[in-house]
Amino acid sequence: MVDIEKIEKRTVQSFYDDGLFEIALGFVFVLLGGYLFVSTALPKGSALAGIMGFALIGVFFLAVFLVNRILRLLKRRITYPRTGYVAFKKKPVSPRKRLRVGLFGGFMGALFAILLGLAPSLGNLLPALNGFLFAMIAFKIANRAGVARFFMLASLSAVIGFGLTAAGIGGARGISLTYGLIGGSLILSGLTALVAYLRRNPRPAPDGLEGPDAR
Amino acid sequence: MPADLRSLADIDRLIHEPARLALTAILSVAESADFLYLQRETGLTKGNLSSHLAKLEEAGYVAIEKTYRGRIPLTLVRLTDAGAAAYKAYRARFKKFLEKA
Repeated sequence: MVDIEKIEKRTVQSFYDDGLFEIALGFVFVLLGGYLFVSTALPKGSALAGIMGFALIGVFFLAVFLVNRILRLLKRRITYPRTGYVAFKKKPVSPRKRLRVGLFGGFMGALFAILLGLAPSLGNLLPALNGFLFAMIAFKIANRAGVARFFMLASLSAVIGFGLTAAGIGGARGISLTYGLIGGSLILSGLTALVAYLRRNPRPAPDGLEGPDAR
Repeated sequence: MPADLRSLADIDRLIHEPARLALTAILSVAESADFLYLQRETGLTKGNLSSHLAKLEEAGYVAIEKTYRGRIPLTLVRLTDAGAAAYKAYRARFKKFLEKA
């Protein structure tokens, strides 16, 4: 008998087979970590430090945009000729839900900023908080798509975050290290998956590409 | 005939066939997929896949678009609204039957 749920899950899973998603996401993390590291290295109160702090959100969105583009390009070059093309449905998000999530994020950010102002020592918790947050996201992906690597990445990012907090490396430097290390782990995990994927799926001869025209 | 067996007898036979069920299950989570992807995931031969896709297309369950990526011919397949509804109904009915069994 055909196991429908298994097939549906396997289809979602196939998106992660080539490791390109992790590599691309890892680059965003490394980029953000590097950016934060440079901003913390600048003298406090300097104009450049101010500009860099202000531009952080812009850099984040630019990185996400670029990574999306790069991911699509790599998929087109590496994945589609080997295992075929598949595009996934995007779950429609209602404007109300978007607003709710935005407001909640803004509220939590503001709350944390106020708490940080009242008790600066809370800054030491930032790596743990960020590590935990990413661990939750990785766990959700692992659970939804059944990709075991993401369970490992979830545990690793929690360990990185809590480890840095325990070592007393907090604040912006702590976050930059958290992002850098999580990014590095993602890239490493993605590269390992990519090598295995390329070994399993050698590029077919040009003749093999005529599959789509078989009808 | 008992009611649950009768409901199973009414099941959509076009989708119930294992290869076509696998195809519709894949396409239910994908926006679209190409011939190569469907062939690899289902393990069907080109001829078999073409024949099953043709049956699904004839029923209006899938839409097939022939295009090119660069100079490489590409056949994109997606589930139509009718196909998605039929798959959803099949899934619900079959699940209900299995729960009762």
